[in-house]
Amino acid sequence: MTTPTPVVEGLFADTDGGARLYGSRCANCSVPYFPRTDTCRNPDCDDSRIGDAEFGPTGRLWSYSVQNYPSPPPAVYDEPYVPYALGVVDLDDGLRVVGRMDVDDPAALEVGGAVELVLAPLSHDDDGNELISWMFRPA
Amino acid sequence: MRDVAVVGVGMHPFGKFADRSVTDLCHTAVTAALADAGIGWRDVDAVAAASSRFSGGKGWGLNGNDVVEDMGSTGIPVYNMSAGCAAGGNAFNVGYSLVAGGMYDTVLVVGGEKMPKGFIQTSGVEEETDPEFLRQRCVGMPGPAFWALLCRRRMAEFGTTEEQLAGIAVKAHQIGKHNDNARFRQEFSVADVLGSNMVSDPLRLYEICPVSDGAAAAVICSADKARALTSSPVWVAGSAVATMRFDDGLPRGLAGVVPDGPTHHSEAALAVGKALDQAGAEPTDVDFVELQDNTVYYELAFPEDWGLCKPGEAEHLLAAGETMPTGSLPINPSGGFLCFGEATTAMGVFQVAELTWQLRGQAGARQVPGAALGLAQTLGLGGNATAVVLKK
Repeated sequence: MTTPTPVVEGLFADTDGGARLYGSRCANCSVPYFPRTDTCRNPDCDDSRIGDAEFGPTGRLWSYSVQNYPSPPPAVYDEPYVPYALGVVDLDDGLRVVGRMDVDDPAALEVGGAVELVLAPLSHDDDGNELISWMFRPA
Repeated sequence: MRDVAVVGVGMHPFGKFADRSVTDLCHTAVTAALADAGIGWRDVDAVAAASSRFSGGKGWGLNGNDVVEDMGSTGIPVYNMSAGCAAGGNAFNVGYSLVAGGMYDTVLVVGGEKMPKGFIQTSGVEEETDPEFLRQRCVGMPGPAFWALLCRRRMAEFGTTEEQLAGIAVKAHQIGKHNDNARFRQEFSVADVLGSNMVSDPLRLYEICPVSDGAAAAVICSADKARALTSSPVWVAGSAVATMRFDDGLPRGLAGVVPDGPTHHSEAALAVGKALDQAGAEPTDVDFVELQDNTVYYELAFPEDWGLCKPGEAEHLLAAGETMPTGSLPINPSGGFLCFGEATTAMGVFQVAELTWQLRGQAGARQVPGAALGLAQTLGLGGNATAVVLKK
């Protein structure tokens, strides 16, 4: 019996409304952060008031690429290596975030296209458990 | 502030040198720079070294103290500067500041590197609090992917084609074949470049600079010293260092704030703007530029970011041959990183050497006619950038 396992704990989760990233937002200047932060780093913000925030699931693809060779450690991937697409996504809630694209055919990706945050496997660990991360899928 | 001049430059050719240490490479560059300046090692008051040794947990890289021990321990101070690939420019700025501020009369600036194999790796820190660790573990996004994402965005905004990207690499090698210090001196066709392996789509192997071993050195001194040494010193008109702004649109870790406008590599634009301000020059006054072409994309984006040309104009300048040494906006008349390969800490000093040779009219077949004002820029991990403006 295998169990899907987050590749890093505490960064994301599935909710009733879809996948979410766990970060922070400053209540004073509204700047979003991912991952979480203890203090606001906006040099124009004079009153750091950081609280927990969730981001996602909808946004637009700012740009994308296909990773044609294995990224060095600590990146994870299954053998044999299969190239994957990467994206920079502007989430509707003001966060620009990087992530893999959950897509079979990268040629279908379009700069400016609508995307949705999902959780999907990056690879498998030695026991066959799926290692889960956040990804984006064309909406 | 005192006027500062570059009076001597030297370089160890770039390549792969299994049998030479980084200290050996620097010895060649320093000896050449001292000879070019017409001074001896005893005349050097201080060393500003571009060092990667202590940054990011890496075990490789230059330590300026080794250079001083190798040249002969005279007791002079060594300033080891760490700023990723911007370290050479950073060391130049510190050397410049020490001379301009009156602390020393003659400073040696040196950078050199023996690079590990493969693409430059990032921090190497295995902690879940480290943004680069998280980016690699959760996404799998190495350095060239950044360039690819920026490049794909440009293609969508301006219609840049794969053939135009390849054309930049072709142009680099048309120039670089004339530079004896360059590692890759063969010409390529557009078909050759398009036939090279795709690395991070849309960027191919010949459109990304490899890593090399190499070293460069520069002797800088006060105006009084310079005039005693030479009748034609090259003057430092501006030297600046900057880091990225909070609202930069390029996420360096996992995420940032969606910016209001197209602000990518704000550190480079800030450094270049400050250096040009110091020089009292407008961007359009620049006769030629040595910019950090880790990838062909930067040769399109940076001149536009800095106001050397208009947004969307870079492809047309390339096609018209205007970025060749004989054109209206010569870019990387050395051949650039694409022809040299990157020896990280050497690069900012390598650029100073090329600017100096160009301004003296010593660049041979790659000479920019009438070069009077040159700009150089580096970019380094951690949101570092430097710029220098040299003039006749």
